[in-house]
Amino acid sequence: MKQIIQLTVNGNDYELAVKPGPTLLDLLRDDLKLTGTKKGCELGDCGACTVLLDGKAVNSCLVLAVECDGRKVETIESLATINGLHPIQKAFIEKGAIQCGYCTPGMIMRVKSLLDEKPDASKEDIQNGITGNLCRCTGYKKIIEAVETARDKMNGKESEKPAVHQQKATGDLSVVGKSLPKLDAPDKATGRAQYTDDITLPNMLYGKLLLSPVPHAVIKSIDVSEALKLPGVKAILTGADVPDITWGTSPPRYDEYILAKKKVRFVGDVVAAVAAVDEETCYRALKLINVDYEELPSVFDPMEAMKPGAPRLFDDKYENNINTRVDHHFGDIEKGFAEADHVREARFVGNRTYQNPIEPHCSIAEWDRHGRVTLYSSTQVVHYVHHQLGRILDMPLGNIRVVMTHCGGGFGAKAATTTLDVMSVFLAKKTGQPVKMRFNREEMYLYGRGRHKQYIDLKIGVKKDGTITAVKQKAVLEGGAYSSFGIVSTYYAGSMLTTNYKFPNYKYDGYRVNTNLPPCGAFRGHGCPQPRFAFESLLSMVADDIGMDQVEIRLKNAMTPEYHTINDLDIHSCEFKACIEEVKKKSGWEKKKGKMPRGRGIGIGCGGFVSGAGYPIYRSKFPHSNAIIKVEEDGSKAVLFIGDADIGQGSDTVLAMAACEAMGISFDRISVISADSDITPVGFGAYSSRVTLMGGNASKMAGEEIKKQVLAAAASILNCGENNLDSKDNKVFVKDHPDQFISWEEAARTHFSLKGPLIGKGHYSPPEGLGGKYKGAAVGTSPAYSFSATICEVEADMETGKVKVLNFWDAHDCGTAINPLAVEGQAEGSVVMGMSEVLLEDEVFDKKGKIINADLHNYLIATSADIPAIDTTIVDSYEPQGPYGAKEIGEGAIVPILGALANAISDAIGVRIYDLPITPQKVLEAIHSAKNKSTRS
Amino acid sequence: MNIPDFRFHQPESIKEAIALVKRSTDGSFIAGGTDLLVEIKKGLKSHSDIISLNGIKVLNQIAEDARNIYIGSTATHNNIINSALVRKHFPSLVNALSRIGSEQIRNTGTIGGNLCTGASCCDSAPVLMVLNAMVEISSSDSVKTVPLKDFFVFNKKTILIKGELVTKIIIPKTTQGTGVHFEKFGLRNAASISVVSVAVMVKSDRNYCIDACVVIGAVAPTPRISGKATDILKGKKISELYPNSVILKEAGQAASDDAIPIDDIRGGVQYRRELLKVLTERAVVKAVEKAEGK
Repeated sequence: MKQIIQLTVNGNDYELAVKPGPTLLDLLRDDLKLTGTKKGCELGDCGACTVLLDGKAVNSCLVLAVECDGRKVETIESLATINGLHPIQKAFIEKGAIQCGYCTPGMIMRVKSLLDEKPDASKEDIQNGITGNLCRCTGYKKIIEAVETARDKMNGKESEKPAVHQQKATGDLSVVGKSLPKLDAPDKATGRAQYTDDITLPNMLYGKLLLSPVPHAVIKSIDVSEALKLPGVKAILTGADVPDITWGTSPPRYDEYILAKKKVRFVGDVVAAVAAVDEETCYRALKLINVDYEELPSVFDPMEAMKPGAPRLFDDKYENNINTRVDHHFGDIEKGFAEADHVREARFVGNRTYQNPIEPHCSIAEWDRHGRVTLYSSTQVVHYVHHQLGRILDMPLGNIRVVMTHCGGGFGAKAATTTLDVMSVFLAKKTGQPVKMRFNREEMYLYGRGRHKQYIDLKIGVKKDGTITAVKQKAVLEGGAYSSFGIVSTYYAGSMLTTNYKFPNYKYDGYRVNTNLPPCGAFRGHGCPQPRFAFESLLSMVADDIGMDQVEIRLKNAMTPEYHTINDLDIHSCEFKACIEEVKKKSGWEKKKGKMPRGRGIGIGCGGFVSGAGYPIYRSKFPHSNAIIKVEEDGSKAVLFIGDADIGQGSDTVLAMAACEAMGISFDRISVISADSDITPVGFGAYSSRVTLMGGNASKMAGEEIKKQVLAAAASILNCGENNLDSKDNKVFVKDHPDQFISWEEAARTHFSLKGPLIGKGHYSPPEGLGGKYKGAAVGTSPAYSFSATICEVEADMETGKVKVLNFWDAHDCGTAINPLAVEGQAEGSVVMGMSEVLLEDEVFDKKGKIINADLHNYLIATSADIPAIDTTIVDSYEPQGPYGAKEIGEGAIVPILGALANAISDAIGVRIYDLPITPQKVLEAIHSAKNKSTRS
Repeated sequence: MNIPDFRFHQPESIKEAIALVKRSTDGSFIAGGTDLLVEIKKGLKSHSDIISLNGIKVLNQIAEDARNIYIGSTATHNNIINSALVRKHFPSLVNALSRIGSEQIRNTGTIGGNLCTGASCCDSAPVLMVLNAMVEISSSDSVKTVPLKDFFVFNKKTILIKGELVTKIIIPKTTQGTGVHFEKFGLRNAASISVVSVAVMVKSDRNYCIDACVVIGAVAPTPRISGKATDILKGKKISELYPNSVILKEAGQAASDDAIPIDDIRGGVQYRRELLKVLTERAVVKAVEKAEGK
């Protein structure tokens, strides 16, 4: 029964009739349409829904709306006034404290209450005060800096401006190389930015999925009759109602059904979909669907799954459940090990981790009366969703529009078409009404696509001087029930070991094995972080064995520019050695290594990544990134239309900067429209760390085309040849006489007046013929590679096993940093995410294959109180293939973290731990077992 | 996630609240809701009626008399943390409550809720137990006080029966020479559930530990007094209670012997026992320092 409540929200009085069930969060978002307050975990763990209730920060997801009678609520929408933004909002924007922005409104509201209560809060107060607000992007460093800046501002003090190191390559540039706030940051700081779940269409229905409660079974029957009778239910679809087509991520392994046909393969497999007037009705309908499962034997361990006679997930393919097999041999491995003076091998085991973007996946589909469908989705890859929907619906792309809204983080979790994308389209078609579908946090874990857990047997041979002669790796990837990105993950796990160090002989055996668990996919660093963790660990062990410094062995073997690896990857720019030298110097390695007391340790790890995959996921000849720039008729502003996706990493800003530089205009004269298949030209999206290089090149090219036309128009006014002209800082000038100029907009306006629309087009395709000719040679190819080195210092409590991470010094060769502020954000976020994966994260399943920590309460990710000091360096580098010399940073930055931390822990406790996560329990057990060994011997 | 329908009541008196819950088929009180709503959303619980205690003004008062401090059961963690009275008399309780959840949780979660959820990892109970706290339980026809040590029955189960409501927590003021310390081990530095917790009270008089109490948390179905560890400390010379002393090792071992830990995603049985030894020793040292006024 509804109850009337009166409350004040942001100074406005409301009288509302509310049901007992909905929370304050529901009231704000659904009834008052104040969608700035975000729904992240719904269980009080993430803080995205933080609002002030009578001045105190609360999780609005855990406050019943009926309990708010007579109370005062403040949300993010209250903070900015007609006089402008609040100092906290300004500081968040300026300091780069906002990436995906989904945690931002809650974070800012918490910060407001903190500074209201404690105007002189210390850095420590801030760090400990915002632990109830999880951020997966920034690593908290810039958030804490922003709060300090806001605090000082509110106290009438000016914060110190940190010294900025300018890269050599950016010396002559006007826009590129500057630390500029992100274009979308003001919208995100004020709660204006619309994420998919913030959109409500007229007459919209809600959809939910029925997921399998059993890990492996034959579906004997599904009875939806009772559910259909429930008032408010509009449609229910089961496997029988959808096309008999398989889909997935990699074409050679399309093995998922739209809805289960006959069989379910994991707890979470999709059995049916309901559309109803609201989510509550959906949930009730789901309970009324009767599915008769005949359970089959299941298998959860990849080693067991490969054994003859193990339960098979697919009867017609993947013999012994081996979903992907890679057998690569380069050089002569036997000879390589024979030449070695020392050989060491060990087994390393990774962990099954989940991306956990703070924003849950969400999709809204709507069909019009012309048979066209529009899908709004929180996706990283508009084009692949577009392509996949075209395939599934058997419709031309022109009849499908895919619009990416703001996206609250992805890290790979949203790098493929989701069940929500597909099912919302089918339910909307069936009902003739728009349908919104969103995952809750548990459903996100069940949908899966997190990091594969890898079992890695690694062997390295070296000469006495540390030169690597041979490397052998066997990796078994626990894949879950379906392929997802797995085929690519399996290749990446092997191919990318060759890019950091030179070695002439390499053998890689990769196995991806199906198990009755949620499918694994691509998570930041795709396939590489765990093999790199193994390699960096073993390389340090080898160095210790031969009495060589761990930094020296890396310098000895380090990659250099213009090198062709043994597996046919072409390295161009490479300042890897500079990265190593930098962190060695900054960390005080020589003073510390081997000279610190037990319990304190230091370790090094290295990494890097592709700057975009050399080949698309499915065969096509389209350029990978495409851009259009349209200049307003008065020349005042340019709009960049780009297909690639800004998922919070800041690509809209970075690509706009490249375009501005190319056109010769300042950054305040551009806006960006991205990732809308009707409006923007195709771009492959945000995966494989490709956007800066590929989207950047396309944007730069489009900008150059504009510039050419602008110069031609200016030439007629300035009466000189266009080749003698250049444009920069909103001026078109004579190169030899810069004092002779006209304004850029005059030139642009003139062009428009004489020739019509001022449009520039740009596109980018990687160079043809990248990589070798062997099977799988495409994976690992890229126009350019990033490099990174990091040193980590830790303190371990030798009695409890708890590891406190004190410092990370990280250095990156990302070519030219187009926006150093954004680069730092990626690096800091990677440090904290990598640290979190090493120390805290692991999906745990019960004996029936059901995940038991599918929330943010039991699956822990780092809070602001867990972070170390982070000192990031961007080294001087220039990549000819990249726009203004730029390469990637977003994924490569996480790759070195795991090994560096593992090495530091090993240094601190005197024992090595080979399996992730490195929990306090494992640390203490290792300390004890080492003690027992030494007392016995 | 969804909260299934229920009847909502917001009584203004304790009596009315109790009458409502008694009349309901399957009613539950709600105060902060930080545990209850999570369990309902996860589908682990559902209730025909939810009776809010937040309209009952007397329930969140913090008061004192000559002997005791009285904390109303719906006082939030932050109400208590920020209470000058509590800060003066029980800084160890302030410390323990500060380590529950996040600021947002501490602003809504209540001490009564923390106790009544009955979790073995409950962070308010160990300190309250070493302080000899009592809970005041009201029912329709009586008000009784029960020592907190007798309140917990099993994990997620207390002695409360339908129609009973915890209305106050009563903490006797401590006397000169009493030191209390709470140690908690969580997997991350904030907003984490205790893997092991321990509270220690020692009372020193002329270089002797004349009274002591050790309560261990998250290592048994309920927070419980470690009788063995308590007995070891009682009567010992304060000068024997220094880091790594024989007595401390014995006390740590004793606490560990009194534990009945489980294996879960936060830690194994043996690890919890090891942690408990270390935390007990550390907590005793800190409690002694406080007792000695250091």
